[in-house]
Amino acid sequence: MNEQQRDYERLIAPIEDRMMRAVWRICGNPADTEDAFQEALLTVWKRWDRIRVHPNPHALVLHMCVNAAHDALRRKARQGKLIDESAIPEDIPDLSPSALGDISAAEQDAQVLRAIGLLPKNQARAILMHALEEMPYREIAAAMECREVTVRKHVARARTKLRKLLSHLIPEIRKEEGSHA
Amino acid sequence: MPDENANDEMDELIRRRTQMEMPVEVEERLRGRLMEFRTKVEQRRPGRLRTLAYSLIHLPPARVMAIAAAFVAMVAVGLVLIPWESRASRVFAAAAAQLRSSQSLEYTIVLNAEPYVAIDFSYLAPGYGRFSCSWGIEARADTNAGKQLILMHATRQYLIEGRKQAESLVNTEDIAEQLRSLPPLADEVLGEQWAGGKKLIGYRLSKAPPNGGIAGLKSLDIWVDAGTREANHVDITVQEGDQPVHQMHIQNIRVNSPIDRSLFDLTPPAGYTAIAKSGPDSQAQTDTGALPVKIGHADALVAVVVPMKGSYQQTSAALQSVEGYLKTLGITPAGAPFGRYWSEQHWEAGYPVAAGIQVKAPYQLISLPAGLAASAVVKGPWGKDSDAHWGAFVKSVIEQGYLPTGPAMEIWSGGDAKQGTPSTEMRMPVAKAN
Repeated sequence: MNEQQRDYERLIAPIEDRMMRAVWRICGNPADTEDAFQEALLTVWKRWDRIRVHPNPHALVLHMCVNAAHDALRRKARQGKLIDESAIPEDIPDLSPSALGDISAAEQDAQVLRAIGLLPKNQARAILMHALEEMPYREIAAAMECREVTVRKHVARARTKLRKLLSHLIPEIRKEEGSHA
Repeated sequence: MPDENANDEMDELIRRRTQMEMPVEVEERLRGRLMEFRTKVEQRRPGRLRTLAYSLIHLPPARVMAIAAAFVAMVAVGLVLIPWESRASRVFAAAAAQLRSSQSLEYTIVLNAEPYVAIDFSYLAPGYGRFSCSWGIEARADTNAGKQLILMHATRQYLIEGRKQAESLVNTEDIAEQLRSLPPLADEVLGEQWAGGKKLIGYRLSKAPPNGGIAGLKSLDIWVDAGTREANHVDITVQEGDQPVHQMHIQNIRVNSPIDRSLFDLTPPAGYTAIAKSGPDSQAQTDTGALPVKIGHADALVAVVVPMKGSYQQTSAALQSVEGYLKTLGITPAGAPFGRYWSEQHWEAGYPVAAGIQVKAPYQLISLPAGLAASAVVKGPWGKDSDAHWGAFVKSVIEQGYLPTGPAMEIWSGGDAKQGTPSTEMRMPVAKAN
């Protein structure tokens, strides 16, 4: 195994699944996911030498994936195309509660993504890494190359804005939690 | 201030609303992208410099501060105690000293990059010299024995000269003498440049070093490897009178590298025949008669040729081929047919044409620049005595103080009822031997 192969095994192989999942969860549809994933790999390629010596290379690579996906999300939010029609069932014969529930879930997913797309870049990326990837603040700070306290501020501000934008969905969460219990 | 529960609720909302299962086909496509990326990474050349730079960036702050402080201190010491000019002067002095004391010296003078025209020189103390031209002439000299051997690889002939005649060749070693007598200080420091991963410092000598002279020397720029303090390459600018500026590039300089002494052997190689000598000790094998060789200006020439290798007896067939091809293009030759010879493995034959036409392989359109050339015309049939004529021709060129700078050329005229007696012009681009 040469040096480059060892580098790949060390830097990318352990987080391949997380990279794919992170992009998919933020983009939410096949076309955007593929484009964003390709963008992320391009960034990783360009900054390969930097990643090799980074104190937390996995966090940095995931940060690049989240960034690429978030860029796609912002583009889509600006174009007002955040509801993915393919996620909504085409044929709704009788407006039964289950079919309406599917529409409602798809709409809610889209609303959450749209709200994240409206956040300033650093806030969105910090909260996505924290909430989605469940990364500790210390790792996010290493990836974003800023202080931990700055990450905390970004996350707190993002939560505040999202709470305003998505307040109507919080009871839904409570309800779902109750039904799961 | 929202409480922890509210924060958790928000995070949970994001997690739930983005928890869609990735379709298998999407995952397959992403894995395909990863495979491509992996292949690319495995073929990537490691960027050592950038990696080093980034590793420095990511050093702990305390070490960064320490390194920065040390660096600033070093720069300050360097600026105060060791001025750049002074260091540069020492680099030049070291290179000049090495050249002065060299026991062997090799280098290549490039006269023209395209087509490549170059001469390889070798010097070995005490007094062995050799040059080998890219157009098939090689000369070896032993100044102690006062003898030189000239080999013409294209015609497989040789010429051995004694002390007096050898002076012309020895003179061509003048550049070696120039390099071996550089003063300890340059007239001007030209600055730095990077070439082939080496940092080079340039120095200009505006007047010829005392030991020997290059006629019309305007400047001699020598570039020295700052790391090894060895001469890397030399650019020489020459202008004689109203003549155009001429530049020579000396490269592949090797000082004190082992040289095979047999390269200077004055025994003619097997398969070569002696060139007829003139004078009282002449043992001429062929009567070449008096061959008036003129040195003068040759006009530029555009021609269509066919590249050849192997026996020169293919010349007629080569010319017929070019003539036939020109006919198919509806082009009439603009002059007499000719051949140009580097060696039996590399020669060409063709016809002059008007500029601006296009040809297809194997035919080539060549453009020979105007310049100084030696020429002589031999009347009558051209054949069995051609080697002897060429030997006399080259000897005469050297005796007149010139050196060939390009391949030999034969231009054939006449030979049919319309044009009368056949004649052959021998021609070679030349330059004044220093």
